[in-house]
Parts: sequence; structure tokens; C-alpha cells
Amino acid sequence: MSINLNISAVEMRDKRLGAITSYHGDAQTLLELSEDKKVPVTTRSYSQCSACSEGCAATLTYYVRGAAIVAHAPIGCDAQIASQNYAAKAASINRHIEEIHAIKFLSTNIKEKDTIYGGLEKLRNAIQEAYDRFNPEVIFVTSSCASGIVGDDIESVADEKESELGIPIVPIFCEGFKSRVWTTGFDAAYHGILRKIVKDPKKKQENLVNIFNFQGIPSFNDLLGKLGLIPNYLIPMATVKQLEEMSEAAISVHMCETLGTYVSAVLEEKYGVPEVKAPAPFGIKWTDEWLRAVAKATGKSDLVENLIESEHKKIEKELAEVREKLKGKKVYVYAGDSFAHSIGNLVQDLGMTLVGMTTLHHDQKVDNENKERLNTLKNLIDERGNIPEFSVCNQQPYEVIKILRRLKPDFMIARHQGLTPLGTKLGIPTINEGDVNASVGYEGLVNLGKRIIEAGRTSKFEQNIAKHAKFPYSKWWLDEEPDPFYFERENKAK
Amino acid sequence: MAEVRQIAIYGKGGIGKSTTTQNLTAGLVEKGQKVMVVGCDPKADSTRLLLGGLAQRTVLDTLREEGDDVDLDSILKEGFGGTRCVESGGPEPGVGCAGRGIITSIGLLEQLGAYTEDLDYVFYDVLGDVVCGGFAMPIREGKAQEIYIVASGEMMALYAANNISKGIARYAKTGGVRLGGIICNSRNVDRELDLLRAFSKELGTKLIYFVPRDNVVQHAEINKKTVIEYKPESNQAQEYRNLAEAVMNNTDLVIPTPMTQEKLEEILSEFGLMADDYQI
Repeated sequence: MSINLNISAVEMRDKRLGAITSYHGDAQTLLELSEDKKVPVTTRSYSQCSACSEGCAATLTYYVRGAAIVAHAPIGCDAQIASQNYAAKAASINRHIEEIHAIKFLSTNIKEKDTIYGGLEKLRNAIQEAYDRFNPEVIFVTSSCASGIVGDDIESVADEKESELGIPIVPIFCEGFKSRVWTTGFDAAYHGILRKIVKDPKKKQENLVNIFNFQGIPSFNDLLGKLGLIPNYLIPMATVKQLEEMSEAAISVHMCETLGTYVSAVLEEKYGVPEVKAPAPFGIKWTDEWLRAVAKATGKSDLVENLIESEHKKIEKELAEVREKLKGKKVYVYAGDSFAHSIGNLVQDLGMTLVGMTTLHHDQKVDNENKERLNTLKNLIDERGNIPEFSVCNQQPYEVIKILRRLKPDFMIARHQGLTPLGTKLGIPTINEGDVNASVGYEGLVNLGKRIIEAGRTSKFEQNIAKHAKFPYSKWWLDEEPDPFYFERENKAK
Repeated sequence: MAEVRQIAIYGKGGIGKSTTTQNLTAGLVEKGQKVMVVGCDPKADSTRLLLGGLAQRTVLDTLREEGDDVDLDSILKEGFGGTRCVESGGPEPGVGCAGRGIITSIGLLEQLGAYTEDLDYVFYDVLGDVVCGGFAMPIREGKAQEIYIVASGEMMALYAANNISKGIARYAKTGGVRLGGIICNSRNVDRELDLLRAFSKELGTKLIYFVPRDNVVQHAEINKKTVIEYKPESNQAQEYRNLAEAVMNNTDLVIPTPMTQEKLEEILSEFGLMADDYQI
């Protein structure tokens, strides 16, 4: 893979992994085209909404305990700070962290004058202010479209303040206009962390397992604990020390390959920390396989079969009940690339019929060259067969509404809360799978089943809403034009 | 009253745009014309000869130091013959974005009402090549309608002039901007006049004036004056008066037809510039 930590900016996912944001067809064809990076790149001539790399970089860095963040950006770029801070409080409680995490954040608030004269003096002052005010162990500096276009030399100011203050000042290059895939922002954050914070290992911590995830519940504790392993939840809610020591871990795993593939591949290549080559632990068989792979890589194989057996037994009865209730129910899944594939596996494990899936983007490649069992779409198709109704769409509700009206699922599962009201307005009981750790492992499967059943209990409510809901779309779009993908166009300007 | 003629002067860096613009301006004011010169170069030296030195506070420095509440009098100075002089200014070399500065600066001049109805001419003296959108600001819709390119018989000057014409042709499609002609600021190279005429013809325009080389220009510059002010009786002063006359009377405004690299090199070669013994 193309990793180069000497270069300040990470190579974009568009180029590195052939990431795309639009496709419609069946899953098998997408998989086959991806083998040679041959999926045609299309764009939408109409978009309702978008996100950007800076948001994804923020989603990781905001939550590092002991860190401060300076956004070298117009203030509006970080309008999400309040909701993120709220999430940080919730995460502190979920993770049983004594001191509630408050995001330590400053913005340089780039204004017109700064775009002309350069904003570096402001940045220097903001870094100093963050240091004085928050006493942080590291300071992240995120770039923005504005700072990128005028060419502010963030790197040299970071270096200058780093030698002056004696703590890592970590520039993260996440200009929103550069990549069509906002998940490039995750890679940008990891890249900065790997360059400036992760230390060379002093010793091997043989029981330490890096888990790349978001700020969800600590659902890996139980299974890993029973194997005598210690989870190192990264990046959100981790301390700076945890970041420094990720090079000492025995293995790396992730709850979502889309999220963790870059950093895991770098850790494997640079520090010899193997990335576990197994599907993420969602669903019975994948959890079995994942546990065996984890145990094998950590020398715990003698414990694992007993563990799997007893865990199966533990959920056996409840799982059968849940499966009975959900059997044959139609479900539509909408989430970020690999995580959507994992939910697809979960719902089919519950006996439901997957009538369609949309992923927010699609990576045609995996970062790790040794990618067997890391190709999540392949894993899903191998396990459950082709998905005839498959699309890739970067969160455009106008497209999703037509798909839902055609497929008429009994349930929708969406990872992002912005899309769940759409299901409700159409009378479809909808789950917001916002905590991506919630459905991990054997109990996670049962719990997801219970949540779906619970959502089904309110179907009258959703039907009532649907009777009164109005959409902002024209009659032509809602009723006359048959193609949800009408606005997708071949990208001629290469 | 006739509408104000807004004119932008472009050309390769170092070709003599500022010197030519200011001497041309001096020629126009002698003829009773009211002229404003807007310097669009971060170095802020476009009005030095008219003002008798770098006495000007730039628009952007004023904006930075005094905030948005800028007074027109603080950025507009009167120079030779009542010329109104403005310098856009800009960041130090290597930081910020000079192009963005020009956009902000011209926008501010408009808001402040610098473009008064009694003006006959507004000149924009723009730095070097049109490297980005900001440097094209003076030729966008509603700004300069008329452009003159300063060139000489040197290869790189003509490359640059051809490139600038591409920019003009682009904006001409959507706006009213037109090429008024080529001004030759002579470097005394062989067959320069013939070459410039042929080049201009190929561009679909004409050589509007040939300004000969004369050391008095350098002397005037050292004395921080235009030639017309420094040595009003000199031949060179008369040349600039003639240039002013030519611009005043010019009604021949065209959309240029920039040439391919091959065609440009063909012309250069025809006039001996590409020969082995070519020397500047």
C-alpha cells in the first residue's frame, strides 16, 4: 500500500482505494468491477446535502482526552461542535469515565482579511491560547478549504510551536474540497496521529488489542476479557498515552473496516502489529471467526472454543425467539460502506430478508495488501448471496425516498440520524444504529433483534405520521419519474 | 457626458507596464482628461511616478489597520495633474493570497464610490501574468472593458501577451471586455517593429503605438517623475503624448484570436528570433 508518513497529507481515498459515491445495480457486479478498480465514476447533477473531510477528522480528534483542537477555519466549519460536545458527555458516561470529557476547542475563525494576508499569525496565537487555556498534552490543528486555497503553511507553524511548547502539535490536512469521500478525513486524522503521537514501542504489550471504533459503548470488553485480553479503544475517548502505545499492541481490530483500515495497515507495516484478517464481529458466524482469529494471533487458541460454545449456549433461547418474530420481515439498510455490510449480515442472521442496501460510499480496494477476509462486501456476498438492490449514495434523501417507496420494507436501519426521520415519514419503523458498537458480538445480535421488534411495536405511530407527512419534492419526482438515480451522470471531466 | 473608459494594462513582468501606464496617464491629463490609476500589484509601485514616491497607503493595509470602516480619502491620493491614485496593495511575498486581495480591494473601491462620474479614464495596472482569478478581477463583468498589452520584441514577452489574450478571449465570451491593442515598449531588438506588427495582426488586433527606448525614462524614474513632468520638452515626452493620443482615438476594440504555440513560434522564427545567433 502507499503509506508515506514523511508526507504531511494522506493520499486521498479517491485515488488510494478508488472510493466512489454513486452506483446502482447489484452487489455482485459492484464487487467484480471493484476487483480491477473498474467501477465507473459518476457524479450527481443535483445534491441536497453533503459533509466533508474536516467533519470526519473532527469526529476522531475532538474526543481525544488530554488533547486540544485548533481549527484553522472559518467558524462555520465547526458548527457541529455543540452536538459533538454533547456526544462526548454521553460517551463519558457509557465508557464509565470519571471526568466527563469536554471538547477543548478553538477556531482561528478565518476571515476575509486572513485569506489575503494569510492567517498564520492568528494560528500561532490560537495554538498558544489553546496551550495556556487547556494545558493539553497534544494540540491538533485541522486545516480547512479556506486555509488550503490561500496556501497557509500550517506545517511550519506547527513545527515552530511544537519546539517552543514541547508538546506534539499535530497538523491534520483535511481540506473539504480535495476528496469526494468525506471518510478521507478519518485517514487524515490517523495520518497526523501516526506521524506525531504514536511512539516507537518500548515493549510489547501482549494482551493489548487496538480497537478502532467511534465513541460507542465498550461492547468488546466482555468477549476480549474472557480471553484475558485488554481492549485499547481508539481513537475517540482514548487518552494521549493510549495513542502513544498503539504500536505496542498485540493486534489491531476494528468495528468497521472503512474506519480502521488505514491506521491498522500502517501499524502492521511499520510496527508489525497485525491487523486481524476476519470480518468484524457482527453476527454469529463472523463473531466465531473473528474470535478464533483474535485468539490465534494472541496465543489464546486454547480458550477460544470453550468460549464460543458457552456464548452460543447463553443466547440460544433468546436468539431463537427473536428469529421467530423477525422471520421473513423485509429490511432496508443504509450506512457507511463496511458497517452497512456488517448490518446486512446481522439482519439476515436474524432471519430477516434484506430487500436493499445503500452505502454512503464504496472503497474498491482495501489498504492492507494482505486483504483476505478484509473485503467486507465480498464477505457479505459469500455469506448471504448477492443483493440485487444495491446502491451507493452519499446521503441524498431525495434518492433514498424513491428507493424506500419502491421496496416498501417493513423496517429500515440507518446509521445516521439525519436519515431516520425519512423512514418514519414513510410509515416505516426505523432504527438509528448510531452507536456502532451496540450490535457487536453474540449479545449484540440478540439486542439488535430486540430493538427491531420494539421498533415494530410502534408501527401504528409511523403509519399515522405517514398519513400527515408532506415532502418537499415535486409530483414529477415523487410519482412520475421512475428512476431514483435520475440525477447520476457519467463523470466526463476526468 | 461620455461613459468612463475603464482600461486594464497587462503584460509580462518587468516589461514596463507601470512606467508606460503612468506616462500615458500624464499624457492624458495634459489633454485635460480626468484619470484614476488603480495599482493591482502587491508591491504597490504603480503610482510612484505620479505621486513622486511611494507615498501611498494601500487599500488593503488600511483595511487591515482600520477595519471595515475605511474612508475613501485615506486611500485615494492626488498626483500629477490631478490624477487620482489608488494602490490595492497585498500580502508580503510568500504568504496569503494576492489575488484574493485584488478582489477585496476593487470591491471596496466600488462600495466607497471611488468611480465618480466626472472621470474620463480608470486604469488598472495589473501585475505580471494573469495567474489566477483574482488577477483577472479588473477584466470581469462591469470593470475594465478595454485592455492594452505591453510587449516588446522578446520571445517571453510575446508568449505572455498571447497567454493574456487567452484570458481576455475567455472573459469576452461572457462580458464586454475587448482588446484595444498592443503597446510596444521597445527593447531595441532587430526587426522589432515588423515582428510586433505581425504578432498583433495574428492576434486580430493592431500595434497601437511603438514607444522607442530612451534613457530619459530611467532618469525620470530615479527622480520619481513621469517623463512628461521631468523633461516635458524631450522627444520621449512627445512619444508618450502620442501614445495618449492613440489611446484616446482608438475605437478599434476586438476579441483577440490567440494563436497556438506552433503558430507563435512560426512568427518568431520568420522574424529571426529563433535563429541560432539570436541574442537579446
